[in-house]
Amino acid sequence: MLARVANNLFWMGRYLERTEHIARFINVNYFSSLDAPNEISQSRQFVLKSILYMVNDTVIENDEEVDEKKVLFDVALNPENEFSILSCFKYARENASSARDLISIELYESINQLYYYIKNYNVDLFVNKGLDDFTATITKETASLRGKINETLILDETYAILTLGIHLERANQVIRIINTKYIDAKSSESEISDNFNNSYEWTTLLKCIQSFDMMKRFYKKAPVSADTLAFSVLNPSCPRSIMNCLNTTQKNIKILSDRIDPNSTSYLISKTTCEYKYMSINEIEGNFSDFIEDTITKVTSICESIEKEFFDY
Amino acid sequence: MSDYKKLPIFSSYEVNPKFYDEIFTQNKEVRSIYETLFNLFNEYQIDDFQLLNEKAKASFLNQGITFQVYGQKEVKEQVFPFDLFPRIISAKEWSHIESGALQRSKALNLFLKDLYSKKQIIKDGIVPLDMIVSSENYLEQMNGLKVPGGIYNHISGTDLIKHSDGEYYVLEDNIRCPSGVSYVVSNRASLKRNLFGAFNHYPAYAVDNYAENLLAMMQSVKPLGVDNPTCVVITPGIYNSAYYEHSYLAKAMGIELVEGRDLFIEKDFVYMKTIYGPQKVDVIYRRIDDAFIDPLVFNPDSLLGVPGLFKAYKKGNVCLVNAPGTGVADDKAIYTFMPKIIKYYLDEDPILNNVHTYHCNNPKELEYVLNNIDKLVIKPVDESGGYGISIGSKLTKEEIEAVKKVIKASPRKYIAQPIMSLSTHATYIDEVEAFEPRHVDLRTFTLLGKNTEFVLKGGLTRVALKRGNLIVNSSQGGGSKDTWVLKK
Repeated sequence: MLARVANNLFWMGRYLERTEHIARFINVNYFSSLDAPNEISQSRQFVLKSILYMVNDTVIENDEEVDEKKVLFDVALNPENEFSILSCFKYARENASSARDLISIELYESINQLYYYIKNYNVDLFVNKGLDDFTATITKETASLRGKINETLILDETYAILTLGIHLERANQVIRIINTKYIDAKSSESEISDNFNNSYEWTTLLKCIQSFDMMKRFYKKAPVSADTLAFSVLNPSCPRSIMNCLNTTQKNIKILSDRIDPNSTSYLISKTTCEYKYMSINEIEGNFSDFIEDTITKVTSICESIEKEFFDY
Repeated sequence: MSDYKKLPIFSSYEVNPKFYDEIFTQNKEVRSIYETLFNLFNEYQIDDFQLLNEKAKASFLNQGITFQVYGQKEVKEQVFPFDLFPRIISAKEWSHIESGALQRSKALNLFLKDLYSKKQIIKDGIVPLDMIVSSENYLEQMNGLKVPGGIYNHISGTDLIKHSDGEYYVLEDNIRCPSGVSYVVSNRASLKRNLFGAFNHYPAYAVDNYAENLLAMMQSVKPLGVDNPTCVVITPGIYNSAYYEHSYLAKAMGIELVEGRDLFIEKDFVYMKTIYGPQKVDVIYRRIDDAFIDPLVFNPDSLLGVPGLFKAYKKGNVCLVNAPGTGVADDKAIYTFMPKIIKYYLDEDPILNNVHTYHCNNPKELEYVLNNIDKLVIKPVDESGGYGISIGSKLTKEEIEAVKKVIKASPRKYIAQPIMSLSTHATYIDEVEAFEPRHVDLRTFTLLGKNTEFVLKGGLTRVALKRGNLIVNSSQGGGSKDTWVLKK
């Protein structure tokens, strides 16, 4: 496989996954704020700032007002913004076009179809009443795209590289969501009867990574901070957890290479996977911001190593 | 059927006596080959057709079977309009077309071989020397170069029309990078899906065997000493207007679709950069024009090509499909010599007719052209895609004067032909929600390899969608039809 096209496949996977996370984050946060338990978490300003932070690390001061329609347009349909859903999906499609001879007709057609859906979505409709329709359709359709990746591609390098892109981006997005919600939980903490440990933000967090119902099934109780972190970071059976992302990455890198020397990507992934396998929730809770930063750095290192080993000829 | 006009979807169909209508005779009777189809179509209501038409369009767009049009602000992706009324070619008619197309391809190949070696045809006075050396597409660098398998025009696209006399005429030969074959395949796929009830009534040849024949041809022209050649398709990239076709062909052959930046040359061998390091490349189907394939030899500003590629080619380490410099022979000025070229190399009479052509560089013929522009089509000799063509009968007095000036300024650049009457074919027109006659042509695809030859049994029927328009190119608002070649 061409190194350039492999790079395209990797980024196609990353942008597909990114699109989904942004869409779901907007949807879940916006709608769960409507009946959130306290004034801060109900505040539209609070939610919009949280969305901007998750999508693009944009920090807006507490006393500064943002315009709702503008924020929604910026994160979803603004073609000028690199981080908007429209831009992310445009990049996903461009990368898919470059690898068009390697992916299945069904997969390309579905990507194309979703692209036209996003591109042609009426902006006025979106900012006034289409938010749920637009974001829910995207999360639904991206899931169907993953289905086509799993069911129509040969399980060879093409599949492996796409899957690596998807799962590394997922780890990246999940950690960003955890971070955003952690900060939200902290800042809405002051309310009576709503402390950090059982903040409403944990429910939102789990919904953002589509794991709320399954988490309840797993723990059989309402989410608290420790369980939420354990489930979304360390639990290998949660499909969105960092642990599962690393496990999947480890499995797929082996399709690409049987190298095990310390300079190989495979080695780096295995080493990182082991660290998380033997990590305890206390370590994370004790030093949360370092943990977030460290995880982002590790995921980035893996991506860079893949790039260097496979794409850089 | 006595009068088709009683049928609502054909109510506005007017057969123009000046043209050959492929569906109806002048007596408004359906030609026998279309009878079954016609009866089947009449079971459809206008609304059914409207719906099918929309469905077909949407499916092309979603599948990304599009070409790019460069506007002032942005690149737009457009569906090549597809018409649901297929064109049918009888077995007898096809055998004539097929043998004619093959004959031309072979003659052109021998002509190119000769031009770039002994130049016997010039010495024998059949084709004038200045015709060759004045051509922008003549490549000095190809002189004396031995090409793998002795093949220059591996892939030829022959454009044919059916004149009012019911005979086929060749309008031009395309032996640089003829495009359109992917539409032949996707048109068929779409037609089968949308009108499955009609297709199975005719014993038509399949068209999806093109890719396997293309790959076999490519493998046949591998460089000496290579057992299992690595073949690739090279494209200018995803923003090229024909990118869909490039990716389709690579995919259908199961080979890599590369860009110039994926290839590099080392010790005069070509390599592609894969995830596991360099891999040698032996045969390249290039969809990049001559000028851009190697910045060291041709256009130095080219970013699309590969520095050193031509040297590797010259050494016989890689095969380029088609060979560089083939453009000299599909030049519209050379076209006029085709009957003589066929006779000279094959000692055969041309099977397919040539349209009579006036050369503007011949003073006598120039004079005739200047005095009769209103009866002629004026074409630049080295443009493709329908650009620069003037149809005399459609020009105002002022425009005629302007065209005269342009021709006089550089007579070598222009030829003129009588206005040929392209046949008409029933075509569904959105705006009027009915079938109307529209002009069509036919492009056939011929493959020549080392000891292999293949003509795709089908072709691209292009249709000029604007009423009365004679130019069928997609860049000029043309569409296309599925083309059925019958087995018997």
